[in-house]
Amino acid sequence: MSENIKTKVAELLSSGQIKGFLGLRSNEGHIGPYLFTNEAELDSLVVGDWKNRGDSRYPLNKCLINIACKYPEDTFGVLVRGCDERGLKALYTWNQLNPNKVVAVGIACPQELADACECLKPYPDECVDDEKAKACEQKAVSSIDALAIADRFALWIREFTKCVKCYGCRDVCPMCFCKECSVGSDDLIHTGQLPPEMPIFHLTRAVHMIGRCIDCGLCNEACPADIPLRTLYKKVADIIDKEFQYRPGYTDAKSPLNVL
Amino acid sequence: MTNSIDELENTDCIFVIGSNTTSSHPIIATRIFRAKQKGAKIIVADPRKIQLGMLADVEVQQNLGTDVALLNGIMHVIMDRGWHKQEFIDAHTEGFDAVKEVLKNYPPDKVSEITGVSADDIVKIAEYYATSEASSIVYCMGITQHTTGVDNVKSLANLAMMTGQIGRENTGVNPLRGQNNVQGACDMGGLPGVYTGYQAVTVPEVQKKFEAAWGASLSNKVGLTIPEMMSGVMSGSVKALYILGENPMVSDPDTHHVEKALKAAELVIVQDIFRTPTAELAHVVLPGVSFAEKDGTFSNTERRVLKVRQAVAPMGDARHDWEIIQDISTRFGYAMHYDSPEAIMKEISSVTPSYGGITYARLEGDGLQWPCPNAEHSGTKFLHKGGAFTRGKGMFFPIEYKAPAEVVDEEYPLWLTTGRVFAHYHTGTMTRRAEALNCEIPEAILEVNPADAGKLGIRTGDWVYLTTRRGKIAVKAQLTDWIKESIVFMPFHFVEANANVLTNTALDPICKIPELKVCAVKLEKVQ
Amino acid sequence: MEYKTTLTTCPYCGCGCGFYLESIDGRLVGTIPSKTSPVNKGKLCIKGWNVHEFVQHPNRLTRPLVRKNGELQEVSWDEALDYTADKLRNIKEASGPDSIAFFASAKVSNEENYLLQKFARAGVGTNNIDHCARL
Ligand code: SF4
Ligand code: SF4
Ligand code: SF4
Repeated sequence: MSENIKTKVAELLSSGQIKGFLGLRSNEGHIGPYLFTNEAELDSLVVGDWKNRGDSRYPLNKCLINIACKYPEDTFGVLVRGCDERGLKALYTWNQLNPNKVVAVGIACPQELADACECLKPYPDECVDDEKAKACEQKAVSSIDALAIADRFALWIREFTKCVKCYGCRDVCPMCFCKECSVGSDDLIHTGQLPPEMPIFHLTRAVHMIGRCIDCGLCNEACPADIPLRTLYKKVADIIDKEFQYRPGYTDAKSPLNVL
Repeated sequence: MTNSIDELENTDCIFVIGSNTTSSHPIIATRIFRAKQKGAKIIVADPRKIQLGMLADVEVQQNLGTDVALLNGIMHVIMDRGWHKQEFIDAHTEGFDAVKEVLKNYPPDKVSEITGVSADDIVKIAEYYATSEASSIVYCMGITQHTTGVDNVKSLANLAMMTGQIGRENTGVNPLRGQNNVQGACDMGGLPGVYTGYQAVTVPEVQKKFEAAWGASLSNKVGLTIPEMMSGVMSGSVKALYILGENPMVSDPDTHHVEKALKAAELVIVQDIFRTPTAELAHVVLPGVSFAEKDGTFSNTERRVLKVRQAVAPMGDARHDWEIIQDISTRFGYAMHYDSPEAIMKEISSVTPSYGGITYARLEGDGLQWPCPNAEHSGTKFLHKGGAFTRGKGMFFPIEYKAPAEVVDEEYPLWLTTGRVFAHYHTGTMTRRAEALNCEIPEAILEVNPADAGKLGIRTGDWVYLTTRRGKIAVKAQLTDWIKESIVFMPFHFVEANANVLTNTALDPICKIPELKVCAVKLEKVQ
Repeated sequence: MEYKTTLTTCPYCGCGCGFYLESIDGRLVGTIPSKTSPVNKGKLCIKGWNVHEFVQHPNRLTRPLVRKNGELQEVSWDEALDYTADKLRNIKEASGPDSIAFFASAKVSNEENYLLQKFARAGVGTNNIDHCARL
């Protein structure tokens, strides 16, 4: 599938439509984010083998925001999966990126990856592949929902106890872009404490992801404590969807909670 | 580490002692969490209550400086119950009988009295550690920074050998290195007695080899350790100090003593990236560069050699450290002409058997774990495979418990212990300049048990004076029952409340580690 | 415009986590944990996540300094290097090689430690080299 992408990106670069393409590169035995600025480099472009240590998915949208801040007049291409595309849509509604300056090049995820993610839409609207994985059941959420309230609470407290307060869940999140962050504010949550105050630290973040979390799971993968953060945020998203019929990234509409 | 970080995930029992892992080595803590998830028993022994204890199967808070007694007590129980592995002991070790004798003096009741750990817990630790299929020991500065540091480490080795919990996958004795390239600095011969790869300066063949490789005549006299250098300056035998990337004014015990030595030296050269308190006392300050501005390699705690790659240009006129050293050496009269760090690594592998197969090209991907003797060798995941120890047989050392060098008395009635906090590193030179980290933990905090604080009318947020035989500092107090009565804890990252003004320079007699983890203090409220 | 992602190794604890340093036009702007790095596999601690913040701090030393009349003063590299080499040579001649002592470092690279001990041993002629492993 990376062949289709290479062709597409080569076109975009050579026609001057984009100044650079933010994708993944294989180099010195590692796969990581890279900005391709000329066609000659495209040999090393890859989409990442999901079975190999995580799945080589990176917060490319977050990198793109960094670049766009510095070069707002230029247009850049970016590699997107279903989640990344949801991210772009949501970031547009939050005015973090300018849709006229971004060219998304989409790929669909293999079914194994979609299953591992329990993804509701494992492909972007527009993508270079024809084959698309099916939407998945939300087993992680329902298995926790099946527990008695007290057990559920105990489970989360047990998980939160492991938190090493790296803030990686926030720092990796393509949807975390606030200048002043509530989870890092001493007024709300005592700083300097390990584990951080429970469950305020994690619930504050969960609440703040309402109308934002596009369910990419990068936080979950970045968590040194293996806390199932994605499951927590999926649950929060379900509640919001039920109450407000809104899931960020699945529509171009603004969050109904924006007014709050 | 004898074993690899990844292996921890698959052990059946992890004994964490003297390491606040979630705070100082969070990425290692990940493996401990996963091991727990898979059903491993977790044992945590630390004088302070630590986060890892919250999910441990046994959590004990031994009295400060009583590790040898605790470990001997555990081994006593193991002997007593026959949980030791006689086969392993017979086949791969020597000197066990002497240890057996010593262990007789450490029945659980007596050990309980010394350590404050209940006899039941001692038995439980012994059982979990000795009878699990694969057990691993993880330790850090809480074990080494004592006058009995070497005794502590040897006791851990005794424990691992008598139970055969070494030389197999998922077992071993695993020190977590506090600084990123401690391993590398040792491997590269940054020690007074050895060249690279631990080749002794006193062995004539080794000397000859290096004389040939370096085209110079070399000394076979073991050099001075850092504390000896400091005393040497005071006695006049050492005139010049060349300090590369270190900040002894904050990191070393008894700061006043260090300051005197630095001021007494005829020449102090400091090569660093910030104007540290040590640089302030220098005659020459040479601006080197940070890790982000250089190419090279670091060797991590599991002996893995990893690439460092230059991301940005050196700031201002700062220069690569290897170029600075090379230029000084050439001007001094010993010419060096490397054109890159890679060229230096070529020379390292040519003179260092354990790095023999290491080249930059081979460090792609996962890097390599030494020993890696040649270009075909794929590196070494764990040491002492099948009980093959470096010296042939593993040596047992009988160790008796000794009290810390300084103990509490009427004038200095509390124990002070020092350590790290999760948002900072070492002397704070780097981390305190990162805004996010400074917001998280902006200042030094002294942890005091509410009972001790109550007696002195101290509340959280109050300023207190801490005084030892060596110095006095003011610091803010925080009440917490995570610290036991009659112990106080403070981090050493903060120069304005420098814990090392207080700490003891008493050294371990063999490896010269200062006793940073225990000294006696007086606590007073600032009026 | 230059946006770079450079894979490198953490300068803090001994785990050896791998991450990409993001830089735009020579300024560091971010840190992204490497998923293919063997130790950290896409994770970092709080120190690692913020590692880009200290590197280009305005307080960095950028010029060599030599003490003159009691004050550290900015000098050229030539002057600083000559001053250092001359002083070291004089001290060696006057008091012997063992009157000079070196602090290697757990914070610099293998190559730099190697070079420093080589200079101490082959250049100056002393084994007086140690580092703060113990601290
Ligand atoms: S969440 Fe997972 S499956 Fe869904 S689009 Fe993203 S990577 Fe693919
Ligand atoms: S899944 Fe995690 S990283 Fe992704 S958007 Fe939601 S909170 Fe952010
Ligand atoms: S990523 Fe995990 S460990 Fe880090 S702050 Fe978030 S929840 Fe805590």
